[in-house]
Amino acid sequence: MAGTGHAPLRDDRDVLLTVRDLEVEFPVGRNEVVHAVSGISFDVAEGETLGIVGESGCGKSTVAKSIIRLNDIKSGSIDYQGNDLAHMEGEALRQIRPDLQMIFQDPISSLNPRRKIRDVISEGIAVWGNTKGSWSQERIEELMVAVGIDPKFGERRPHQFSGGQCQRIGIARALALDPKVLICDEPVSALDVSVQAQVLNILEDMKARYGLTLLFISHDLSVVKNVSDRIIVMYLGKVCEIGNADELYEHPRHPYTRALLASIPEPAPTVDVSEGDIEGELPSPIHPPAGCRFNTRCQHATDICFTDEPVMQQVGDSDHYLACHHPVEVSVSVGER
Amino acid sequence: MGDPQLTVEDLYVRFPTSRGTVEAVNGVNFTLEKGQMLGIVGESGSGKSVTAKTLMNLLPRTAEVDGNITFEGDDVRAVAKERRKHFWGVKMTMVFQDPMTSLNPVKRCGEQITETLRYHLGDDKATARKKAIDLLEQVGVPEPAKRVDQYPHELSGGLRQRVVIAMALACEPSLLIADEPTTAVDVTVQKRLLDLLDGLRRDRGMSMILITHDLGVARGRCDDVAVMYGGRLVERAPTETLFADSRHPYTEALLRTIPRIDQPSHTRLEPITGRPPELIDPDEECAFAPRCRYAQPDCLEVIPPVGGVRGQHEFACFHPANTDRGRQALDTNLAAGQTVTGLQIQADAGVN
Repeated sequence: MAGTGHAPLRDDRDVLLTVRDLEVEFPVGRNEVVHAVSGISFDVAEGETLGIVGESGCGKSTVAKSIIRLNDIKSGSIDYQGNDLAHMEGEALRQIRPDLQMIFQDPISSLNPRRKIRDVISEGIAVWGNTKGSWSQERIEELMVAVGIDPKFGERRPHQFSGGQCQRIGIARALALDPKVLICDEPVSALDVSVQAQVLNILEDMKARYGLTLLFISHDLSVVKNVSDRIIVMYLGKVCEIGNADELYEHPRHPYTRALLASIPEPAPTVDVSEGDIEGELPSPIHPPAGCRFNTRCQHATDICFTDEPVMQQVGDSDHYLACHHPVEVSVSVGER
Repeated sequence: MGDPQLTVEDLYVRFPTSRGTVEAVNGVNFTLEKGQMLGIVGESGSGKSVTAKTLMNLLPRTAEVDGNITFEGDDVRAVAKERRKHFWGVKMTMVFQDPMTSLNPVKRCGEQITETLRYHLGDDKATARKKAIDLLEQVGVPEPAKRVDQYPHELSGGLRQRVVIAMALACEPSLLIADEPTTAVDVTVQKRLLDLLDGLRRDRGMSMILITHDLGVARGRCDDVAVMYGGRLVERAPTETLFADSRHPYTEALLRTIPRIDQPSHTRLEPITGRPPELIDPDEECAFAPRCRYAQPDCLEVIPPVGGVRGQHEFACFHPANTDRGRQALDTNLAAGQTVTGLQIQADAGVN
């Protein structure tokens, strides 16, 4: 599993964010490091929704946090409108941050319980004075209406709202500074299914209304497909497969993507359920396997997978790239479900 | 067919709080046949976990319980009063959601399994240890002889949950209650755990209650699925019937609100408008009425009783979906543009 290589990068002018060879490591003592993200490259076009899927420990949240510099970056670049976010510091970084906002998984703990929600939503604007967004009661009320929270509840505090409402307040807060990019890290994972759809619909509406570019991280394959234009599948700090959302789910080529699609309770029709039986445990990210990182659990692995790291390659001429020595031929008929 | 293995009749569970009485479970009735796998599906606050905890006698002392629970001829609530040993943990056991908090972090995995065996079955140390290794092997823990001496923190989430399952199986229970057993794990691990539970159930002829918020999880594994809403069981049917021909509007709405993997991306989702029901002093009406597209005046007068075909397809609704009565109710509401509770509704492509 590799993910090294720049094949999936597009050179269109409407690319808003380009991540190149991003590498993130966390020290864990005894001179050892966790290789959280190991040299991944991707880009996001303006107005696009990029989904990132993968299991715990694959590095998807680390990628998101790196983009807004919530953790240290070992190497690589993150190009945003001509600025390299990976190497910006101090005031310059502060100036650019309003453009990139984030919403988090746990809607309740990400809101300050002691503050009124009107203040929570307007804090960013208060910090930035009148330079970003327009500071007015109307603006706050407009945002609250946009996410479906009655403005008359502005004086209430977070505990008086349900989880779904808190997540909508979180979205309103993120939108207050007129961001270009909204990073959503598992935004619906903590919500009940009946409110999950409300929040996903609001995200789609806000994207259309405010012209947002979305980075959407989730472990739920159906949710990611629903909101994304393009999807990245990650495993142990590397990219396995990138592609157009419908194309990727229709013709998954990487054995790991197929394993994921076969493992969900109602497996995708394009894969055989037996492909979900991947053996063993996730290898340690402190000592990741050499060659392809999926080699310890892959049914197709051969000698080359243990020595050479596969490089990202385009599949045909479609918007579909993968890093695998033995991609699964999708033309073969799929066994009975 | 003889008597069901488990019968729950008119179960009510209430929790007095400073804000009023929380009516967590409101008259739940169901039966479970020996060897059957029943899925209980519902969202937070629907009463599914409280029902399970009532069966396991794990409710806090403040809980007010009413109703009858019979398990293999024993009156479960009488067993609780007698403080009888060797009932829970032997005949009826439970697996919880979070494997980290259901294991003792300062005890080796093996000890946590042998503890059960030694207390309930009176096994000596060596026998219990041998059985523990055996059990770990049965639940698919690699290198069981080594794992038995490891602490929970040394295992991955999936392996920990297997240890918890091994503990639950130690005394060969005839009923296993699994409360969201795979919610805290990744999908590939989830598949393996569900396969494991399903296999163990078949091998041992054990009955199982699988509690989950994920309709997909229930669909793949259960014989029957029961849907709970607002502390009531609103629908129960054989799994395929429930998914193909649901009657309760809540079940129908739940099925339609979930993004499906076979839909193209950016398919507009159909949210269930409104909020989950109030459990403190709820009104005497159908709990789903304020969010229901089918709601009619009679839904607000009394709580719909469970009807349908007993033992086959039961549901608690006056205007069930996929029936003439339901279609009529929906047509009336669509023509008015709103339901009797004031819920604004519009026709959409998905309605049949």
